[in-house]
Amino acid sequence: MFRTSHLTKHYGSVAALEDLSVEVPSGRVGLVGANGAGKTTMFRLLLGLTRPTAGTVEIDGRRVDSDPVGIRARVGYMPEHDCLPADQSAADLVAGLGELSGLPARDARQRASDVLNLVGLDEARFRPMGGFSTGMKQRVKLAQAIVADPTLVLLDEPTAGLDPTGREEMLGLVARLGEFGISAVMATHLLDDVQKVCDHVVMLDGGRLVVAGPTESLLEAKTGTVVVEVDGSTRALVAALEQHGFSSTLQDGHLEVAVGDAGDDSLDVIRDAVAELRLPLTRLSTRVTSLDDVFVGKASHQKEEQS
Amino acid sequence: MTVAATAPKGQVYDRGYRPYEGKRGGRGAVVRALWIASVRRALGLRRSWRQKLLPWGLLVVVSIPAIVAVGIAYVTRNTPGRDFHFISYQEYVGVSSALLLFVAVTAPDIMCPDRRQRVLPLILSRPLTGLDYAFAKVSAIFTIVFAFGFLPQVVLFVGRMLVSDSALDYFKGHLDILWKVPLTVAVLALYYALLGTAAAAMTTRRVVAAVTFLGTMLVSSVVAHAVVEDQAARHSLLTLVNLLALPLQLRDVIFEGHISIDSPLSGEPAAALLALVVYLAVIATCAAVLAYRYRWIER
Repeated sequence: MFRTSHLTKHYGSVAALEDLSVEVPSGRVGLVGANGAGKTTMFRLLLGLTRPTAGTVEIDGRRVDSDPVGIRARVGYMPEHDCLPADQSAADLVAGLGELSGLPARDARQRASDVLNLVGLDEARFRPMGGFSTGMKQRVKLAQAIVADPTLVLLDEPTAGLDPTGREEMLGLVARLGEFGISAVMATHLLDDVQKVCDHVVMLDGGRLVVAGPTESLLEAKTGTVVVEVDGSTRALVAALEQHGFSSTLQDGHLEVAVGDAGDDSLDVIRDAVAELRLPLTRLSTRVTSLDDVFVGKASHQKEEQS
Repeated sequence: MTVAATAPKGQVYDRGYRPYEGKRGGRGAVVRALWIASVRRALGLRRSWRQKLLPWGLLVVVSIPAIVAVGIAYVTRNTPGRDFHFISYQEYVGVSSALLLFVAVTAPDIMCPDRRQRVLPLILSRPLTGLDYAFAKVSAIFTIVFAFGFLPQVVLFVGRMLVSDSALDYFKGHLDILWKVPLTVAVLALYYALLGTAAAAMTTRRVVAAVTFLGTMLVSSVVAHAVVEDQAARHSLLTLVNLLALPLQLRDVIFEGHISIDSPLSGEPAAALLALVVYLAVIATCAAVLAYRYRWIER
């Protein structure tokens, strides 16, 4: 879908992106990082709205800097900020922006009606947007991004400011984009959102690439930690596990046992140790990796290497 | 009446998402769409009646001299020695400050909200450039000012032709009007459109843009008059700093072939050429301001 090669963008002395090389396939991609990580700059570069200081960006094999207008004809953009005129109706805005994407006026109006219906604004589309809730505004922003049937849509913090229900609904819409043949890049700092809907992740920190890859493969990475919870004292269990070469620490009422590369065999060893001590076992599991773990681990490792 | 048990009942269809396989216009079509949307907004179309008052009221105001002139010609058509002069085609260009007021109000109205309401990133993420955006906006103002400057002249020309003794003779005798009027109106419309949009590009607030536009015109006019009045000889090239009068100097050159004898510039060497150079410099400066402000979205 898109590829960057040694992509660098400096604003004066500030490096927004530094030597970023990444290749991302079609699908739903999470572009994650803290504020100032370079997500918005990445979007501007993908849209051809700013030129890279060095390096290149390609979308579907076409260099963005050689034909930015042509690229923008097939890429939709949903900004993070509030950008909807209060005195205009959603139908007028989305249809107008459809025309600005090259659609004939009649088709643009029909498409506006279709996509506003799709995002759940069928009834409200003729009302002025000044009275819309944050959730409705986010839906309008998504509708205008897909009105011209783009091949790729860039979503900047699509769940920002939404309540839990609105957030789930927005993530549901983003997840459905794949069914429509639209790839999506979702910039966010909410890793839970990415974990729910994205099948690929690009993590940025301070303008540098932390890690990129399929979400599943990042989550499958072994943590080397087993969580054990028993009723009663854990002192004897800690000693027994040490005899097997596993160090453990007590955290929030359960033991976190460092098993290194022992894999699933370690579970058998721990189970047997608990059984020998006749302790009631309530929980025994490999600690589940989250994208937060991956991000924190990789980012701190990268910083150690740099220092 | 009974309904058959097999009669079809209402059904709900999930229309889902349909890919668009129709025609897609290129960059030219996009600019045209933005131009149409801007003209529509400036004329108050698809907006409340309050938004329609100014443009359509203006059309009435600028048409009044033409209607009066034709009316007088009609009423006095059988009066001996009736060559009653009310207004000439040359005088009609720029006769009303209504066009100036119109630009002061509508140029900010079609540009400032895009920045103020942050719609500009939505527009510039489409297949057009910042320069295309500026071009469409300038063209929209130009189109309306040209139309509102030209249509009353058409009314005047056709009306006088029809009430003359011989319509054909009148037409043959005024062939030069057919190119002089559109050219001078275009010179005026381009000038107003670029100055108005350049002022609007500098700010997000409509009132500031309007005051900047009108203020620049009026202050330059007052300054030029004060400076010229102060000279021992009233003829002075400093008249050229009068931005309000500048397009009218060119109007006189187009109609008469030289600067008007009533102008303080009259008698100055190469005054017509200098007026043209200053006009082009103002146009180029405004275009540069627009290019700078809309080249990149990030600015």
